[in-house]
Amino acid sequence: MSYLAENRGDFDRIWAFTRTEMLLRDDGLAAWKWEPGATPHVTDANNATDGDLLIAYALALAGHAWERPDLTTAAAGIAAALAAGGVEKVGDLVLLKPGNSGFGAADRADGPVINPSYWVFEALPAMAELMPDGPWSELSDSGKTVLAASMKIGPSGLPPDWVSLRAKPRPADGFPQEFGYNAFRIPLYLIRAGSRDRALLEPFVTHMRDAEGRVLVVDIALGQARQALADVGYRIIPALVSCVLDGTPLPDEMQSFAPTDYYPSTLQLLALSFARRQHPECL
Amino acid sequence: MKPVLFIAVGILALGALVIHKAGYLDSGALPVPPTAPNATVEDQAQGGSSQPTTVAQQAPAPAAQDTPVPAAPAASSGPATAPQADAAAPKVDETALRYFAAKGDTRRLEAEIARLKALYPEWTPPDNPLAFRQGGDPQLDQMWKLYSEDKLAEVRKAIADRQAAQSGWQPPADLLERLAVAEAREQLVNASDLKQYDAVIRIGSANASLLTCGDVDVLWRVAEAFANTDRKGRARDAYLYVLNTCKKPEERVATIQKALPLLPRQDLDQLLATERKTADGKGEFEAVRGDIARQSLANADADPKLVISPEDIATVKALADKDGLASDDMLLGWYYVRRENPKDAETWFRKARDKENTAAASQGLALALIQQSRSADAEAILYEWRDANDDVRRVYLAAVANLLAVTPPVPLAPEVLQRMVQAIYAAKDPAAAQQLGWYADGLSQSQTAAQWFRLALDWKPDDEPSAYGLALSLWKTGDKAGAREIQAAWIGRSERIPTVGERSVETAAVGRRARNAARARAQDEDQRVAVEQPTRPASDGRASPQARGCLTSIDPSTLSPEQALTRAWCLMGVNRPVEAAAAFEVALRGTGKTQADAAYGQSLAYLRAGLTDMAAVAASKAPMDADRSVGVRTLLLENQATTAFNQGRYVEALMALDERSRIAPERTGLMVLRGYAYLKLRRYGDAEQVFRAAAGTGNHDALKGLNDVKTARETKIQ
Repeated sequence: MSYLAENRGDFDRIWAFTRTEMLLRDDGLAAWKWEPGATPHVTDANNATDGDLLIAYALALAGHAWERPDLTTAAAGIAAALAAGGVEKVGDLVLLKPGNSGFGAADRADGPVINPSYWVFEALPAMAELMPDGPWSELSDSGKTVLAASMKIGPSGLPPDWVSLRAKPRPADGFPQEFGYNAFRIPLYLIRAGSRDRALLEPFVTHMRDAEGRVLVVDIALGQARQALADVGYRIIPALVSCVLDGTPLPDEMQSFAPTDYYPSTLQLLALSFARRQHPECL
Repeated sequence: MKPVLFIAVGILALGALVIHKAGYLDSGALPVPPTAPNATVEDQAQGGSSQPTTVAQQAPAPAAQDTPVPAAPAASSGPATAPQADAAAPKVDETALRYFAAKGDTRRLEAEIARLKALYPEWTPPDNPLAFRQGGDPQLDQMWKLYSEDKLAEVRKAIADRQAAQSGWQPPADLLERLAVAEAREQLVNASDLKQYDAVIRIGSANASLLTCGDVDVLWRVAEAFANTDRKGRARDAYLYVLNTCKKPEERVATIQKALPLLPRQDLDQLLATERKTADGKGEFEAVRGDIARQSLANADADPKLVISPEDIATVKALADKDGLASDDMLLGWYYVRRENPKDAETWFRKARDKENTAAASQGLALALIQQSRSADAEAILYEWRDANDDVRRVYLAAVANLLAVTPPVPLAPEVLQRMVQAIYAAKDPAAAQQLGWYADGLSQSQTAAQWFRLALDWKPDDEPSAYGLALSLWKTGDKAGAREIQAAWIGRSERIPTVGERSVETAAVGRRARNAARARAQDEDQRVAVEQPTRPASDGRASPQARGCLTSIDPSTLSPEQALTRAWCLMGVNRPVEAAAAFEVALRGTGKTQADAAYGQSLAYLRAGLTDMAAVAASKAPMDADRSVGVRTLLLENQATTAFNQGRYVEALMALDERSRIAPERTGLMVLRGYAYLKLRRYGDAEQVFRAAAGTGNHDALKGLNDVKTARETKIQ
């Protein structure tokens, strides 16, 4: 986001922190869990591939725009490490492992387990530029295939946050069996990557919000709402998808930004920035 | 000037290391200590990321050998105080140097001088860095200030912000270089803390300027990373580099200590060979040599086949005599006990035990005594420690079993026999119970023998010798039906059990023990009673009921329920719960309060004896008042949880704890148990939460638990 805001100072500060505090793994990927009160600060050295993708993507964008070869080199290193350890080929599919350890077919009884929201689709063409012989377009195609299959699991047409692909797709063991905070961002990532695929996008517009426009956490098996979230950062997602598909402009209240929690605020900024650049008619 | 000199040596060393790495990062030829720093090497640290590195590449070409070195700095911003003698002379940016000097930050000042010397070997630091003012750039000053406060990311931000605001502005190369090195150091240390050893080596290789005597900690971390990635030779070379080039005595000694757990002995010996004499003529590694000899003995304790040098043993003996540490005595004791030299082992364990009577010293001494067939002494020594831990308990029971197996049976004092019986019963140890059976059999107490064999068989159902003993004892008591039942059960599994009774009891009877039976029978009659099986003491007509006191053994069935109750509580008071349970059993025949008290007491007695199932039965024998009922139930569940945990049934342990927590608040100790049950079930989040709550009370086990969760999580990841 500091790249999108063209704030080079913040970008360099965040990058310096990321490099010295998180990019510590033998394989060149980032440890995902950092706690200020713990010693050492990293309390779980596993990686999270959505984080790795986002880091590499931001570095690639900034390296290109600001003519900073150091950033581009770092991005290429992460892309190579992701290609080497972050993906798993299962049959014809190229899957994004949520973390390098603990999710693969050999790691758990219901493995491979994936998280469809980890596919940051817009980052994959950037990875392909950094590493042309990497499996990026297969990864993108497979992501959409497993997403479509995951949306058929429950009556709601919404995918669970965590999916077991051991056999027929089903919610993975040990996680809440719901469409939840992870999966909210899927349609945002899809449209930011330029997708206009109604079959994939419309179920989100229809089912992820209630009559008041609040975003729902949905029980996969029952198709019933467990929670309704009113933060603008969540509500803007189906609204933006609706605008991209059908031209319904975003309501005014969603167009003004006031920070709340980091996650919905991030989602709202990503949505607004996208609308401003690609779909001014939505504003 | 002393620090400068020292650092100058470090610089040469830096060059040395860069070359050195050609040795230990390459395929293994021992590095030759270099003399000139300008050699070119290929740094092939990790596959794929090889980067040709040359010292010359890191440093601008120094002025030609015969050119006078300019004495003054030539930083573009600084005031020039001396003419530039030669166009080829290096431009040395002394901004940072002067900043640190102005701040009085000598540590960084020294490091900066070292760095500049590395880059410009012919540069000499200014005599008085304070004589020059900084350039008058407050924003740059602020950046140096942030840098000196280790706020590296903030420096990055400040630079980028200024570049955005002031187009064309470039930070001093010096600042960028320092920043990159400091960031690399932070990254290396963080990766090292997370045991990401490949990353440590990768970062160290890419930042050779980190690897100097000025920051020995980084060198140690790189060495550790090599040692932990199966590159012991390279680890050794890195430690050798420190020893050959770095001068601070405490760092040199610490280097050996760091290497101690990581390197094999022959590599350690190479490191020790670099020892220098201190001012008082002693070797600087003398103390460490002691530790190494100790480690050698400890390794030999762990591996009885390991052969260690006699010098190591002599060294530890000398230390034990000189310093008088019980821990050294113990090391020697364990060494000898594992080498089947019980006499020497006994000597050393006794020395340790004379200094401090501990469970471990007593355990070692008992083992040495058992090896010398002095089990009675072993039993006596270890009795007080028998519950210290599982290991000690095993050794104690081994002493008991060995003592009971001695032929001819040794006369045992009644209180010794009594306490052994209690211990065997509490530990449910089948081997010792079996020996007790043979012991009773040897005293011609067949009924008692049968009861002990039966218990042994309960505790270990496939124990053929106990089944044999049981069949034999039952024949002897005339219980032919009982004997046949055992025989039928063992057909096909034992050759001798089905033949019991075919021969005369005299010839069949237990071999060696039978021969001694007559002799044993002649022994003190008191023993007879003490061996009685505890829950149902055989009747002994000689004993007369006693209303007061309970030190004499009597058959409680001869007492009235009220008398039995009094006696039972007395037995509980002297911690003889098994006998107490039998007395409570008699008291249960009473009515009203007597009966209720008896049920309560018996369940407590069984609980204390570790017989949870029987306690549960006892608790149901008569109605109890609410308080007592809750109390017993609480204890029962607690016991159930502990037992389930010890047997690896963690879910059950949690269920018992849950149930208990519904009727009584959870004690901290049980929270710890709960934490470990979660941990075993890999419910790390739950475990952490419980440990954290318990740790809040200052409980040390809980703190340890927290750490175990952390370790388990790390292990899970790798």
